[in-house]
Amino acid sequence: MDETVAEYIRRTVLKIPRDEIKTMLQKWGFLSEAQLQTINFHQIKDNISQDVVQLCEENSADIKQAAELDIIYNHIYPNKRVWSVYQMNKTGEETDFFDLTEFKKKFKRQLRSALKNVTINFREYEDNAIWIRIAWGTPYRKPNQYKTSYVVYHSQTPYVFISASVLKSNLPLLCQALVVASNYCDIREMELRSHSLNSLKDIVFKRYSQNFQTYYPRPLEERNVAPENEDLRIIQENRNEKERIQRVNQQIFGDGPQPKLEFAQYKLETMFKSDPKMDVLDKKEPFRCLVKFSSPHLLESLKSLAPAGMADAPLSPLLTCIPQKARNYFKIREKKGVFPGSFVSP
Amino acid sequence: QGNADAQKIAFLLRKQWTLYSVTPLYRFSEAHLRDYARLLSAFIAAEKQKGLAVEVGVELDIKVAVSSLPDLKGSDQDQAAVLVQLSLRSPASPKNSEEKLVWSGWFCCVSGDHLSETLPEDFTCLPLFLANGAESYTSIVGSWFQKTFDCCFRRLAISPLNLSWMAAMWTGCKVDKTASAIELVFSVPCLPQPLDISYAIHPEDAKALWDTVQKTPGEITQEEVDVFMDCLYSHFHRHFKIHLSATKLVKVSTAIASAHCDGIIKFLQSQYLTGVLMLLTELAISQIQ
Repeated sequence: MDETVAEYIRRTVLKIPRDEIKTMLQKWGFLSEAQLQTINFHQIKDNISQDVVQLCEENSADIKQAAELDIIYNHIYPNKRVWSVYQMNKTGEETDFFDLTEFKKKFKRQLRSALKNVTINFREYEDNAIWIRIAWGTPYRKPNQYKTSYVVYHSQTPYVFISASVLKSNLPLLCQALVVASNYCDIREMELRSHSLNSLKDIVFKRYSQNFQTYYPRPLEERNVAPENEDLRIIQENRNEKERIQRVNQQIFGDGPQPKLEFAQYKLETMFKSDPKMDVLDKKEPFRCLVKFSSPHLLESLKSLAPAGMADAPLSPLLTCIPQKARNYFKIREKKGVFPGSFVSP
Repeated sequence: QGNADAQKIAFLLRKQWTLYSVTPLYRFSEAHLRDYARLLSAFIAAEKQKGLAVEVGVELDIKVAVSSLPDLKGSDQDQAAVLVQLSLRSPASPKNSEEKLVWSGWFCCVSGDHLSETLPEDFTCLPLFLANGAESYTSIVGSWFQKTFDCCFRRLAISPLNLSWMAAMWTGCKVDKTASAIELVFSVPCLPQPLDISYAIHPEDAKALWDTVQKTPGEITQEEVDVFMDCLYSHFHRHFKIHLSATKLVKVSTAIASAHCDGIIKFLQSQYLTGVLMLLTELAISQIQ
């Protein structure tokens, strides 16, 4: 077995939390159940990975098989990478029948015609998701297994999720291969990025609980709310306002959990407006700003601002539109015309 | 001579310095810097013997240098700044100048007249201390100074109020075309999911705003700082409906310098170094008094 393959397998196993190693090796299926029985999964990880490498040696593992294990790891722990969302377009209306074998063949051919040194692996999952792992080389160097890009393509949709890694120069090549293989015309990057792959899917496939805009906002229906503090000496100030905020929040954000995003960025090119009494800046040019919001769970965080008294309810549509518009990068310019207070996001 | 000093000043730039306030030093003398270096060196060696080793494993020799930075002062009454540097010397070649600088700390006083004037004879006023390097070294050096000169070190935090002053002051400074943005970082920790907001304004636009707010050149009032910040807050509110004034301002970054509320500073421009030090000296003195 190649030394580089052995080292690669060793490092991949080391990434896996100790309690998960056995299950993941079983999913991989490269080592037999009998072989797995011989490994003591309670020893330290260093030793476990050495044992695994030893067994892989017996089975003469090659790089493709090692790459399989990497895909399985990344499928279970996708949040270690940053994912960007791309959308493909086709001109015609026809929905071609998706042939997986054709797709894989065309993809490999397209990629290999431009770059001989690539390792390409595919793995299909139940939800029509095709995972593609690509390790990039150069015309003169073998593929670097530690510099990989991942693609998750849901064949029934025009959406592709890409975790490109450092070699951004290979991105156009990758996009081209996807378009050709899937019979689309072109592909564009959406302004949507996150560590949480599932949340990106939720947003793009509209799987989160959306607010349904009703014409007459209905009052909150009776729910199983725990009884308020019975002590009559405690008076809730501003009870009406608190309830209004809750109601408005619920209308905007919906009832269910929010998709998990870590950041949102706004490039502001709007005018600075102030009270004329203040006698400050009155320029005809935009007041250029860059605003970045970050949080372990951004949308939940924004949702809690108004109840905490730090924001107005309703919160600005610039923030609440994130899931609907399926983007978290914005460029905001002043909308010219009738309503000077509103903004346009191209 | 001038060049050497310019080099020393350049050394202070673009590093992260942790701030402390220091009470006046008793019987400190600028004439004895070499002796202090020797004594501090012996102290560090003794601490290592005691098992309070800073570097586990390899026995490395720590060399101490204490020098003066005469240009770093505001007025003639100010005490010249004192720089302490710790270097590691590899035992393999003790005479060979293979020295790696591992820690630096300097005391200074820029326009600290109102404190130094009130001090009795034997006391030296160097209220601001800046440290760069491992916390363990800072602790050892601090202990020695505290023991030797009967002084007291305390971490110097920077309040949001003072950070807004820095934002306003530094926005007003003239910088070249390639200046970086004025960045304000706000933190909202007490939510179920914490939130950080970075608000960066193009330096030309921020300066244009400040120039219309500041009425008297060379002078800044609290009111002007408030108006400036309110303008920035209301521009933000117009877009996002969030009240930045209800959040905590934790960091200010400009082309001049960057400051963090935990008491961490980075100087980026040598021409404004003394200006920033003057402000920090004032903060240190307020903390001591």
